[in-house]
Amino acid sequence: MSLLAQVLVSGVLLGGLYALMALGLALVWGVLNIVNLSHGALIMLGAYVTYFLFTGAHLDPFIALPITAVVLFVVGYVIERGILNYVIRGPMFNTLLITFGIEVVLTYLAQLAFSADFRAINPSYAGANFALAGVTIPLVQVVVFAVAIGLTIAMWLFLLHTRIGRGIRASAQNLVAARLYGVDPKRIYALTFGIGSALAGVTGGLYGTVSQINPYIGGPLTAKSFAIAIIGGLDNPLGVIVGGLVLGVVESLTALYFGSTYRDVASFGVLLLVLILRPKGLLGRTT
Amino acid sequence: MMLRYLFFAAALCSATAVGAQTVTFGASVQLTGPVANTGRYYKDAYEFAIDKINAAGGVKVGAQQQKIALKLLDNQSDVNLSVRQYTQLLTQDKVNFLLGPFASNFVLADSSIAEKSSVPMVQGGGASDEIYARGYKYIFGTLPPATDYFGSTIEAMQKLNPAPKTVALLYADDSFDVSVAKGTRDLLKKAGLKTVLDERYSTNATDFSVLLSQIKSNNADAVLVAGHETEVLNFIRQAKSLNVSPKFYSFTVGVPSEDFRKALGKDANGASGMTAWLPSTSLKDKWFGDAEQFAKAYKAKFGYDPDYHAAAGVAAVEALVNAIEAAGSLDANKVRDALAKTNFESVYGRIAFNEKGQINLPQIMIQIQNDKVVPIYAGKGFENKLEYPLPPWDKRQ
Repeated sequence: MSLLAQVLVSGVLLGGLYALMALGLALVWGVLNIVNLSHGALIMLGAYVTYFLFTGAHLDPFIALPITAVVLFVVGYVIERGILNYVIRGPMFNTLLITFGIEVVLTYLAQLAFSADFRAINPSYAGANFALAGVTIPLVQVVVFAVAIGLTIAMWLFLLHTRIGRGIRASAQNLVAARLYGVDPKRIYALTFGIGSALAGVTGGLYGTVSQINPYIGGPLTAKSFAIAIIGGLDNPLGVIVGGLVLGVVESLTALYFGSTYRDVASFGVLLLVLILRPKGLLGRTT
Repeated sequence: MMLRYLFFAAALCSATAVGAQTVTFGASVQLTGPVANTGRYYKDAYEFAIDKINAAGGVKVGAQQQKIALKLLDNQSDVNLSVRQYTQLLTQDKVNFLLGPFASNFVLADSSIAEKSSVPMVQGGGASDEIYARGYKYIFGTLPPATDYFGSTIEAMQKLNPAPKTVALLYADDSFDVSVAKGTRDLLKKAGLKTVLDERYSTNATDFSVLLSQIKSNNADAVLVAGHETEVLNFIRQAKSLNVSPKFYSFTVGVPSEDFRKALGKDANGASGMTAWLPSTSLKDKWFGDAEQFAKAYKAKFGYDPDYHAAAGVAAVEALVNAIEAAGSLDANKVRDALAKTNFESVYGRIAFNEKGQINLPQIMIQIQNDKVVPIYAGKGFENKLEYPLPPWDKRQ
């Protein structure tokens, strides 16, 4: 087994998870100009929903994912219509503050409801793997990768080719013109935030299967998603794939050649480089 | 006439009521925040011990029996907040003595407050040598030294047949785990074991695939990990999904605690660890009877099995009470001197502090077998058979 090959494969698969994590955040940020600091908390909630569907209703996690997506869509829709809508046209600082507050509230509600015990979504196939050319490939991570790519492409097609998708893009580009064409901004904003939350929920369900769940996983995940979204660029939904892959591979190679303790230095180093050299992100337009 | 008697009786009653003072212990513990799942053990342990001691009459201060009160604050897993809270406990709430938080990095910061104010603090949450390297006189700890955590494990490893030859040592970058790694390196060298991987990783790391791939490619016979429960959980799950199965692996945390084993299910089997305490009937206690009775009563009250964290917390309370009774007063310096001379048997074992203020108890090597914690080795012989070498993941039940 070539160690380098194994590490590269792990890095790419990690990149898939990263891409999925950042997708919801990038969508909401790129389209609504809302930096959702509660993104990680929504991932955490999605993880718990999938966990309870798995342990309570004995639903396979992958079957529970669409249900989780619907639940988190509703949560996101309600949050946007009920709270964020009031500050969405104001200075960005207000949305930052409010989403931060939502994050704190959701985290502490989760602590009260679920206690600080860790949970893990442990279906019988959680540790399954197969060997390919001397490299061990974990099954669940491959599926996560496929789901990430699939959802990102679906999102891209949705925004480009469906009526609602065009409505979302129109509202982002020119709200007045969009309204003249009959787009209802309140509905569109809530829908977009709901989709972003649903994506976060799906991420959570998958995250719980490869890692572990507790009320505090949100914060670091938001920070990571942030970095990935910036690195990939917000103009193009496919950017998160690039951002995720770059980060996953760079982190893994850094761990291999410099030591695991430098992973975070490397990821935020890449972020800094991108901000300096290509501030719109790797897939962003340079004009 | 009646009225005068009534008045006199009332005055006497209120005088005795005023005379029945309480001793207050103060503590700032992680009840919420990322480390809350272990921090809450200390709240439960402190309350359990204090309630039991109060039920037996409280603490004898000189000629007077006094009840113990507990002022407990939630530091939300924030070290800076815990420092402010200990300051508040001393200056505003004016507690008599302090009990510690969980985790060495918290104890490191909070103990400085106690030392500066010359108030004894007995803590059961920090084992790092850094805590005791500053020459502090008022800090005492019931967790044995971090540098020795793998001591009995490495001793046991040498007695196995065939003995593991190569070792991978992984550790998180916080005070406790760095201390453990430093001590373990010396122990490994003395034991003649070859360290093929010695890697530090960031606390809260979630991805161990690179480290696991390195372990596989280096063919390490044994893996020793000093880290936090969330990391160990991820490590084991990812070891399974990457098909990395060393002959032996041991972790400084997780193995003794129930919710860790529950989260991993069958995948927890085979993992080794260590604990300074097991609920055995040979540990006799003035208030609890013995450790087995203590564990039963604790589980009945709180719904989970106590592990060594809870026992260390109870030991901290007992040590303080014992010292107050020995000193016969609530004077901080007298109690501090009494603490230094502590030597008694308790539900936690023999409580005695070395000249630096730390307890010295051997770690008992344990392994999870069939979802249960089984004691393996405590320095004398193998109490039970170690499952070794561990079968590859696809051959495990």
